Amino acid sequence: MYFNKKSSDTMDACRFCWMCRHICPIGNATGQERNTARARALTLSLVKRDAAKLDGDIVDNLYECALCGGCTNDCATGWDPVSLTKDARLAAAINGQLPSYVEKLLDNHDKTGNIYGRTCKDSILSDIIKTLPGKADILLFLGADAVYHTPAKAIEAIDLLKKSGTVFTVFDDEPDSGYSYDFLIGSAEETRSMMAATADKLNGTGALKIICYDPADAKVFRHEYKEYGIRLNAEIITYPAFIKSLISDNILQIKKSETVFTFQDPALLARDLEDTESARYVLDACGNRREMLQCGKGTMLGGNLIMNEYLPNVMKLVADNRIANALHVSAENLVTASPAEYLLLRAAAGDKINVITLEEAVLSCL
Amino acid sequence: MTDFLQTMIASELEDAVGRENCSMHEIDKLTHSVDYFWLSRMWADRGRLMPLADFVVSPADAREVSKVLQIANYYKIPVTTWGGGGGTQGGAIPVAGGIVLDTKRMNKIYDINEQSMYIETGAGAIYKHLEWAANERGYSTMHFPSSLTCSTVGGFLAHRGIGVSSTKYGKIDDMALSLEVVLPNGQIINTSPAPKHAAGPDLNQIFIGSEGTLGVITKAQMRIYEQPECRRFRGFLFQNMTDAFNAGRELLQKFKPSVMRLYDPAETASLIKKIVGVERSGAFMNIAYEGVEELVNVEEKILLDTFAKYHAEDLGSEYGEKWWKEKITFFYPGHMMDLPQMFGTMDTIAPYDKIEKIYWEMKKAIETNFPMARFIAHFSHWYEWGCMIYDRFIVDDVPQDPAEALRLHNDIWSCGVRTALANGGVVNDHHGVGIKLGRLMKEQYGPAMQVFEGLKKELDPNGIMNPFKLGL
Repeated sequence: MYFNKKSSDTMDACRFCWMCRHICPIGNATGQERNTARARALTLSLVKRDAAKLDGDIVDNLYECALCGGCTNDCATGWDPVSLTKDARLAAAINGQLPSYVEKLLDNHDKTGNIYGRTCKDSILSDIIKTLPGKADILLFLGADAVYHTPAKAIEAIDLLKKSGTVFTVFDDEPDSGYSYDFLIGSAEETRSMMAATADKLNGTGALKIICYDPADAKVFRHEYKEYGIRLNAEIITYPAFIKSLISDNILQIKKSETVFTFQDPALLARDLEDTESARYVLDACGNRREMLQCGKGTMLGGNLIMNEYLPNVMKLVADNRIANALHVSAENLVTASPAEYLLLRAAAGDKINVITLEEAVLSCL
Repeated sequence: MTDFLQTMIASELEDAVGRENCSMHEIDKLTHSVDYFWLSRMWADRGRLMPLADFVVSPADAREVSKVLQIANYYKIPVTTWGGGGGTQGGAIPVAGGIVLDTKRMNKIYDINEQSMYIETGAGAIYKHLEWAANERGYSTMHFPSSLTCSTVGGFLAHRGIGVSSTKYGKIDDMALSLEVVLPNGQIINTSPAPKHAAGPDLNQIFIGSEGTLGVITKAQMRIYEQPECRRFRGFLFQNMTDAFNAGRELLQKFKPSVMRLYDPAETASLIKKIVGVERSGAFMNIAYEGVEELVNVEEKILLDTFAKYHAEDLGSEYGEKWWKEKITFFYPGHMMDLPQMFGTMDTIAPYDKIEKIYWEMKKAIETNFPMARFIAHFSHWYEWGCMIYDRFIVDDVPQDPAEALRLHNDIWSCGVRTALANGGVVNDHHGVGIKLGRLMKEQYGPAMQVFEGLKKELDPNGIMNPFKLGL
């Protein structure tokens, strides 16, 4: 089995090191030894040494990782288990060893253009998008999770921008950013082709700025596109960063309330995009803020909708743990900035705490 | 075991812990086959498989553990308890196959008792999570071993672990108030509700350090402490080890610092130079003292006066603070010794009248008998009566044949530990015994070993609990 040098070095470094165990949202949720960066590195190192095969439950274990980067962020030596896991997923794909549930998601995309296999969009969202200009300097990129799982939140995100007077457009038939393919099969040719096609479409709009509602899309636009040599002409900005700029430039007038918020940093926003302050700036304008355990760059994942397709029980446990953290700080509102975390945390919260989006917090203070 | 019987047992175990928490999958067997023991790592590095469990179960509580042990006793199959797998002595390796009982689902924090200052927790909780829970209320567990983030409460208790602030706050065995234990026959027991009493021998201390050979610890009440008002550091350089020992011993008669670590000249010139940046020859010693500021001011004066008597050069607070910040970094890949090197830490403990001699005798024994080995040491846990040696051997040129490497490894260990025993030391201070040092337990205890053997025979007549560990 061939692994590139970076992956090979990473597996040999991580295979006997447990230092990041405490930070893994999956391992903490399941209590299973296999859900550690060390376990994955150990088994892959045995594969490299022909003592095990990259198939069956060893491949399944690759897909029990959310690629949230908690382990990579925590490593004092700078090893990168996320990169190793993505490389191993690619190796499994190349060797025809993908699990059936991953094949199904990829098939869904072939058939419907999204891995969730949804064939139609929310009609209200579609109607609202049709009212927006067909062309503008600013493009709001909603992402598959928002379009197919939280359309009502996408509508609120649009509403807030409209209330600020921002002139922007949204794709009626938004292409996939490629995040889902990158998550499932890493840097495979299919991923790169999808990203290249999306880049063509984005560049074709002539937009100067792309606001990404979902940090997952911003992350691939900023990092993987560059890594794969795919050029985007527009500036990529996250939704929290854009809202922050609207407030700091006095375009949005906020009435500060006494509401208490705690913010769930999306892992990709905090770590890959290194933005932990925009949402906090916004929330500080809206009310009072309390920090829960493991916030900022050290955030714990609250959920991932791709994994929720094949490991819903695990995602529920992950969200339950994060809700428990939020309850410890006695905030009234747990504020999210990713559609996946909004949906899964809200389901886990029940009536214990209000789970809201960043735009909801702002809309309530206008 | 036939396929049929294995499937039958699996169905019973699934009934006990739930289907999703009983596995016969390769991934679970492989990941529970290698712990931090150098031999298991070397074996895997050479592409060989360590012994695999037949079943991996993850019970949620004592009741489920009880069911598992009853099944294991009926079928007479071994049970190896696995916490974090971060042990260095092979204690968690299922050398005889059978069941690996992973405790990490028993990770619930039940209570933070601020009146009596303890956390009641499942034994499978990662200790760092206890620390977070304590920190949220303004307290600390004060247990800061290098494996804080990877090891479980039960794992630390099982082998009598220790953290860097042990001199002031104690070892893990000083931090446990009460335990819930499942005996090998499945009975669930609790030790006494208070750790100090005159109601017979201390049940806590029978199970703490028993490494899963006498039962499974499922719940524990662990002490928490007020966060110190201030914590200060002071680094010193001694020109000889004798002065350093005497200075440390005298200091301990006056007050208890939290951290006391003395590095021999070899380790000062290697690890301390690399991580902390001390580029001087001599023996580096780091002292931390903490608590109420008023008292800390007094302690600081006593420290400086005492160490001045032994010609210690005061290096100020900078190196000590850097050491505190990097105290876990030492153990990350790239900073620690690693394969293909062979290495081991023969931590031993002895009273002050013996400790220096043990250090020199062990150094001589290793370097004379194994010229290919380097010997470095530090002294990291100090008491009023003695201290421990964290002495390491390192071999760069390791035999390629894994069986030959194993023999060399065990020969060096036997030589080092026997030298410690011959000069008044103990088999081990805080890493435990496992399969690595089991053979030396009888040499340590002589006829006293029958006490452990009697307990084992009575509590575990079928010998199912972690066989071949602890010399039992």
